[in-house]
Amino acid sequence: MEESRATRLIAGALRCYPARWRRRHADEAAELATLLIRDGTPAGSIALSYLAGATREWLTPRPSRRLSTVACALLLAACSLGVSVELAASAAPAKAASTSQPHGHARCRPDLPQPAPGAVPAISHSPLALREPVHDKSC
Amino acid sequence: MASERDDGIDRDVLRRVGEASVLILISLADGPKHGYALIRDIKELADVELGPGTLYGALDRLERLGLIEQLPAEDRRHPYRIMAPGAAALRVHLDSLERVSAAGRLRLQLGGI
Repeated sequence: MEESRATRLIAGALRCYPARWRRRHADEAAELATLLIRDGTPAGSIALSYLAGATREWLTPRPSRRLSTVACALLLAACSLGVSVELAASAAPAKAASTSQPHGHARCRPDLPQPAPGAVPAISHSPLALREPVHDKSC
Repeated sequence: MASERDDGIDRDVLRRVGEASVLILISLADGPKHGYALIRDIKELADVELGPGTLYGALDRLERLGLIEQLPAEDRRHPYRIMAPGAAALRVHLDSLERVSAAGRLRLQLGGI
């Protein structure tokens, strides 16, 4: 009963390791724990040692993890480059269209009513909106 | 000596690997051993109780550094063997410890303590 409890404790601690480590060492580690328990080492201290080892194992940077980080960064860079190219491509026709109009008139909206010269803006307009007629003078 | 340092031959790669790794290399210096034998030998050699979690961490680190290698399993146990770079690194580290130890003893003598 006591032995099976110790075995469960060790097995639980070994499950905390990454799968890659478990594939490589788990069988041998379980057997080593059995031998150490037989020698009189408390199962709790063995389990604690494995838990500390598992924590270190998760925190230690691995070349494969570094590679996957680099791969993710490259993918992210490629995605953002793709988005930038897409944005540039969609902006190009608009820019081309704007060059056919006189410079500075691209922002003018002929469908919007133009304020009369000297007209007082509405009170609800924000200070930013008050400055807009300055641009509109070019229209 | 200086030229050796310039070549990086006597660079002490074991300076930062920790005591457990150095003890494992010392234990493996006289032949391959598996985990349980390493723990027993290190206990006898240095009176250090190496936890199994510490042992596997150190073995993996030494293997990644190319200082030891895992041999084919006997039953379920994998023996480990020290490799030539491991032996060279251990020699350099022990030389370094000896120099520091000698300097410490000399200073204690000079200080009359």
